[in-house]
Amino acid sequence: MLEMHNISKIYRTDLIETHALREFSLQVAAGEFIAVSGPSGSGKTTFLNVAGLLETFDSGTYKLDGQDIRGLSDNARSRIRNEKIGFVFQSFNLIPDLDIFDNVDVPLRYRGMKAAERTARIANSLELVGLSSRMRHLPAQLSGGQQQRAAIARAIAGDPALILADEPTGNLDSLMARQIMDLLEKINSMGTTVVLVTHDPELARRAERNIHIIDGLVADTVPASGARRRERQGPAHAESATD
Amino acid sequence: MALTSHPLLSALRRNPTGAVLIALQIGITLAILVNAAAIVTHALQKMDRPTGLDTRDTFAMEVADLSRQFNVYSASSADLAYLRHLPGVAAASVIVGIPLTDDGGTTTVGRLPESQGPTITSAYLPVDQQGLRTLDVPLVAGRDFRASEIRVPTVAHPDPRIGIVIVTQALANALFAHRSALGQSIYLGGRTPSTIIGITRNFMGPQLGGGEHAYDTVLVPEIVTQYAAYDLLVRTQPGKRAVVLREAKRHIDAADQNAVVGYTWTLSHAKYRMYSGLRNLAVFLSFLTLVMLVLCCLGIFGLGTFNVVTRTRQIGIRRALGARRRDIVTLFLAENAITVSAGAIFGCFLALGIGQWLTTHDGLARLDPWYLLVGVAVLALTSQLAVWQPARRAARIPPAVATRTI
Ligand SMILES: Nc1ncnc2c1ncn2[C@@H]1O[C@H](COP(=O)(O)OP(=O)(O)O)[C@@H](O)[C@H]1O
Ligand SMILES: [Mg+2]
Repeated sequence: MLEMHNISKIYRTDLIETHALREFSLQVAAGEFIAVSGPSGSGKTTFLNVAGLLETFDSGTYKLDGQDIRGLSDNARSRIRNEKIGFVFQSFNLIPDLDIFDNVDVPLRYRGMKAAERTARIANSLELVGLSSRMRHLPAQLSGGQQQRAAIARAIAGDPALILADEPTGNLDSLMARQIMDLLEKINSMGTTVVLVTHDPELARRAERNIHIIDGLVADTVPASGARRRERQGPAHAESATD
Repeated sequence: MALTSHPLLSALRRNPTGAVLIALQIGITLAILVNAAAIVTHALQKMDRPTGLDTRDTFAMEVADLSRQFNVYSASSADLAYLRHLPGVAAASVIVGIPLTDDGGTTTVGRLPESQGPTITSAYLPVDQQGLRTLDVPLVAGRDFRASEIRVPTVAHPDPRIGIVIVTQALANALFAHRSALGQSIYLGGRTPSTIIGITRNFMGPQLGGGEHAYDTVLVPEIVTQYAAYDLLVRTQPGKRAVVLREAKRHIDAADQNAVVGYTWTLSHAKYRMYSGLRNLAVFLSFLTLVMLVLCCLGIFGLGTFNVVTRTRQIGIRRALGARRRDIVTLFLAENAITVSAGAIFGCFLALGIGQWLTTHDGLARLDPWYLLVGVAVLALTSQLAVWQPARRAARIPPAVATRTI
């Protein structure tokens, strides 16, 4: 699903160069659920941004779903983000002027989908996250946990192959955090690859594989915990075992 | 999906203030733009009408005498004798009233005596037998005055009978519609009837200020002697006006100790002066409209910039979710189009209202709907241009904003 080889990403300002990623290599198989952790400033978000085509990288190779990402036009990158990737952010990032229904609708409209199909998909994904009764609410009228579930509904409505979540539980209490985690596991169990950046070791332990980033490098990879692997079902199972 | 539930509209409904203000501004601008355009076009058309005169090569000068025993007839005859032999002069005549100025007289003209039927107010232009030649106005029917027909009434021997007149085609048509005016009798003021012996091509006489009836003039064969002043009208050969004017003024000033040349007018200057009111109105309205348009663009630009700044994060999120740069531009243009449409609808009603008011109060023609159409098109275009820069700026917001700003 995701193959990075020797990726480096340097932020240049007038005064300093920050090597946010250096010789960063990582492979994530389709259907896998990995957790990425590391100290603050170690490059987790940078990795997620590069993986999610929100930012470009300086050197190395990156293949997403078999497609070489280097040198793609801005439009092509937008299209891949729209069709293959679902984002879940720490601060939910719902559009405050739009109600939940319209928020979930945003990526579907950019895909140019017909109204009937969009409506069906929005209904399905809101049902999956348990917010069917709240679709005409504004984000501000929902709790943090509900907002994050709405954001997850938006991320999965377009049926992406990859979910990238940057500390999605960072702004939530532990109960809500567990609900979000349950939801991500459920989505993963339906075949979607999930990459989760988290500080929380307890949540990280629930992933199949833990990646540790320090100073822009993959420090170590902790093998999957047995419990998660046994629960897993679906076609992606065999591939994920290879890593 | 129904338009009422379109996310663009719901977003606008939640933050309406800026958009509503801009829509109001657009409406008012449209209303002023449209009516100003109609008024300015009308003014330009009016100024563009032919004067029917050789304005470039014709001038008039007023000669006044300071002594009591001034004989207008002999003084003007001497001046004309001089002028008609001056090299560069094509024709010269003594008149009272200068075309295209408000210096001159008017009279009522009717087919019946004043008290018995409708009359038309017309310019009254006393000329001698060279008057038409000097004005360079051809006859379309009938004949010119003969030298023997020029009357010279004096204070001692007033002579209210006029006898024969020449009228412009416009006046002839106004009086007799499609029947031939030639040979008909008309009544000037309270006088005895006069016979029309000639009809001239239309030209603008004095006193009517370029108004709707500017072409209604009646010429009478008379040298007016009861004022201690007379007007000389001189047409020169092409390009000789300045030289002749300077020479004539110098000579007439010097020839008679009592005679002084008062003002001199070139007809082109007279025409310029005649339309100064209209021209100032046109310039003022154009300027006002331009200022309103610029303010409108600034408002739209301002709101657009405000939206870019306040929605930076939202735009980054949209980009992360798959919006291309051009989708962001489209978002801004579409939102602006909604605001402009609302303003345009309001503006159309306002424009028609103002137009109606102008029609009833100022007698202006009804507002042609074409002006509205063109006005809406102009505003639509300029407003989209005004939001273009903020829209481009919004499109440059990087998608990483979604993860980098908290
Ligand atoms: N836009 C940027 N410009 C300059 N430096 C940046 C930028 N974004 C991140 N960095 C730097 O890159 C490093 C990695 O940042 P980040 O990936 O956000 O870390 P993490 O998410 O692990 O906290 C940090 O040192 C950070 O200061
Ligand atoms: Mg981070």
